[in-house]
Amino acid sequence: MSDPILSVRDLRVRFGTKRGVAEVVNGISYDLHAGETLSIVGESGSGKSVSVLALMRLLAEPPAAIAGSVLLHGRDLLKASHRDMRSVRGKDLAMIFQDPMTSLNPVRTVGYQLSESMSLHLGLTADSARRRAIELLDMVGIPSPDVRIDEYPHQLSGGMRQRVMIAMGLSCDPDVLIADEPTTALDVTTQAQITDLVAELQQRIGMAVIWITHDLGVVAGIADRVIVMYGGRFMEEAGVNDLYAAPNHPYTDGLLGSLPMPGADRPEKLVTIPGLPPDPVAMPPGCPFAPRCVHSDASRCHIEVPVFEPDRARHLVACHYPLQVTA
Amino acid sequence: MSQFLTKRILQMLVALLGVSIVVFALIHLVPGDPVRVALGTRFDQDLYDMLRERSGLDRPFIEQYFAWLGNALTGDLGLSFRNSQPVTSLVLERLPATITLAFAALFVAIVVALPAGIISAVRSGKPLDYAVSAASQVGISMPDFWAGVMYILLFALTLRWLPSSGYVSFLESPIEWLRHLVLPAITIGLISGSVITRFVRSAVLEALNQDYVRTARAKGLSEWRIIRRHVLPNAWIPIVTVVGLQLGFLMGGLVVVEVIFAWPGLGRLALTAVKDRDFTLLQGAVLYIAFMFLTINLIVDLIYVRLDPRVRVS
Amino acid sequence: MTVAPSTPMERLPEKPVSRSREIWQTLIANRLAVAGLVVLALLVLMAVLAEVIAPFGINDIDIPNRLTGPSMSHWFGTDDLGRDVLSRVIIASRVSLQVGFIAVGFALAFGVPIGLVAGYYRGKTDSILMRLMDILFSFPAILLAIAILAVLGPGIRNAMVAIGLVYTPIFARITRGSVIVVSEEVYIRAARSLGARDGRIIFRHILPNVLAPIIVQTTLSLAFAILSEAALSFLGLGVQPPNPAWGRMLAEGRNFFQQAPWMGIFPGVAILVTVMSFNFVGDGLRDALDPKQKSVIESRGQSV
Repeated sequence: MSDPILSVRDLRVRFGTKRGVAEVVNGISYDLHAGETLSIVGESGSGKSVSVLALMRLLAEPPAAIAGSVLLHGRDLLKASHRDMRSVRGKDLAMIFQDPMTSLNPVRTVGYQLSESMSLHLGLTADSARRRAIELLDMVGIPSPDVRIDEYPHQLSGGMRQRVMIAMGLSCDPDVLIADEPTTALDVTTQAQITDLVAELQQRIGMAVIWITHDLGVVAGIADRVIVMYGGRFMEEAGVNDLYAAPNHPYTDGLLGSLPMPGADRPEKLVTIPGLPPDPVAMPPGCPFAPRCVHSDASRCHIEVPVFEPDRARHLVACHYPLQVTA
Repeated sequence: MSQFLTKRILQMLVALLGVSIVVFALIHLVPGDPVRVALGTRFDQDLYDMLRERSGLDRPFIEQYFAWLGNALTGDLGLSFRNSQPVTSLVLERLPATITLAFAALFVAIVVALPAGIISAVRSGKPLDYAVSAASQVGISMPDFWAGVMYILLFALTLRWLPSSGYVSFLESPIEWLRHLVLPAITIGLISGSVITRFVRSAVLEALNQDYVRTARAKGLSEWRIIRRHVLPNAWIPIVTVVGLQLGFLMGGLVVVEVIFAWPGLGRLALTAVKDRDFTLLQGAVLYIAFMFLTINLIVDLIYVRLDPRVRVS
Repeated sequence: MTVAPSTPMERLPEKPVSRSREIWQTLIANRLAVAGLVVLALLVLMAVLAEVIAPFGINDIDIPNRLTGPSMSHWFGTDDLGRDVLSRVIIASRVSLQVGFIAVGFALAFGVPIGLVAGYYRGKTDSILMRLMDILFSFPAILLAIAILAVLGPGIRNAMVAIGLVYTPIFARITRGSVIVVSEEVYIRAARSLGARDGRIIFRHILPNVLAPIIVQTTLSLAFAILSEAALSFLGLGVQPPNPAWGRMLAEGRNFFQQAPWMGIFPGVAILVTVMSFNFVGDGLRDALDPKQKSVIESRGQSV
């Protein structure tokens, strides 16, 4: 097996807040291989977005404090200088964000924002950057790209804006594209189009993708592997089909239970998970899900944190009492 | 764009009409007979009859207003009650000095406020930010006349670097012109600059917290480039608005500062008119200052349109 | 599928805290605002007890001791007639605060009702009222005050009216803006559809909900009304001699500036400290009551 492109080990992120130290990401580890799509799923506040912002070093430090290691081609990004980090961002690691309206600068043209990273990282001249920008817009499915390139973000629809963001992310042929809930702010039809576009581009270009979402329904169509995150920790990691067919973690089971699935032999009634996610300023000592888990017991779950080591061949679960025995 | 322009110019004309009514009405609110009040102890029947006839105070109010407005549009604002000279020429004589001072003060304000506000925002929460905030807080609370008097005491009377008052025309001696301009310009400029600094800071800070800045960082751009190419172009929009608002304050400040520095401008003319109860002259001076103020507001709006593609296109 | 109602980090404190208590806590956590409050309290006390505190009478002329510098007997020195500068600064605080409060009270009394009516009824009423306010806004403020004083004649009472008039449009605009927002709220529409009388809706439902920005603007306007009064008195249009006013003392001190700088320095410091205190309290109140509102910045932009 080839070495992973990106290898995250024991990543921890804390924030100093007025109420105390918020432990938002509490030791997560995973590997990402070339051409793979990894989806990290979790509800808001689970630490999924923060974890990728941390590896891009896009969090202000302080208030954030980041520990662990993030190896990109074997080099630790958390130890890189600001200058080195800038040469990685946009070039090796590209990122697209949730809301394409606010993520694009309203007073700069599409072409300006697209060309910027190409002239910075690839040293392209204004002319060739513009030509490539038009190609990129065409590639992400924007009609009449030679006109659109001179328009401003407010002149485009939400879906088109996100296509522009994707074109920006792909402009310097990154090894990894990080998509932080790229479809959340879009309507349902557009969501599917954007998901399909990324899947198709990945086939063509072959970059690896980390797809952050709170929506297990979106994941099914795009991911190779899925990680379920809760309370700043990984609960379960498995191939996408394994996870859907046989969720091992009570939390994953709860998530799938609350997902409406037409045609599936799920119970008609949607299951909701009682309780609230843990307060990051006062993390429970044991499993973060224990206070809401029907299977938890006082002797282990509330004291000892269940963990797993990354191994992409297997179905991994961080639970003292997994629902089914892993095959 | 041209539609916006037409609308704005129309609005300005309406405002100007309103201003002219207020200015015209002022003289009629004077208790008693304004000409008699103006002449006071130097009462002279011939002069009185002449001024009264010229100002048309015998006719009904509406008729008077339209007659006055008609004359004003042709540039005739009547005769000064005091020395019977045409108000228009008295006002125009003072206009260059006022415009010079207004722009010099604005220049000082911007030159101080932009760097201070940007640095303060970029270093927000750091000692430099606190220093800038403290200084601007003092500036905002500073009475302009007191600041002017203090500068005279320090730079003119004690250090003897600069003249304490007066005006020299640029054509006469550019160096003396500048030396006389410095103190009045910084008196208003630093106070206005303090206000603008705070606004620049909050505008830049606001822009720095936008998602597109995170996008720019994710592209690997340097902080300085992000500030220049992404933050400032957005921050200009609110900054231009406040600079426009400041001009109103600045022009108000002119009255006081022109008095302190014996600057022969419109503000001082207006005050002299008040003291002399020279109502026609006061009308003229106030009308011109308000006209300048409205014109500048219009210019600010046009700059605003240039800066914001969301207004410009579509 | 989205399970959590909000991110845990934004969760409110466990114990419910009453709104007024919360505002008060935010305000006193702001050290500058507290400093401003303390200074203002002392100023008001000083103004009330002025005659008791002042070591000399304001018009105790003492020619042999004219223009003497600060000393044990005259902390702030004496003026050209040998009058005690400290005593005059103390007594003058009364007139400054008085003009400030009355002028802003005037502006409130006219501006707020205009804003309420314009914002509640909208349509033609709104257009006419706000165009009138716009006209007042088309003059640089101090110039308008000067023009009004030219007509009414100089003096403290007329200065109050002039400053009050100049500040009226600010209150009308702020009130109107908030009323328009609040009127869209469901409970107001509900009250309207239930046939409640307009007066009742305006005073019982709308006014309490638009008070926050008005309170903040009042505090900030007090600062600038005091500045305006000082400027008018400096120009000889406000308080008339022999009564002391900070602005006026500065004007009188100008002629003796080289021999007796204290004549001008101390009244100026008094204005600066007073205005700054109001600004601190105003900014603190804004942060506590209405974080969205713009600060001092806009008010000075439009009002001095």
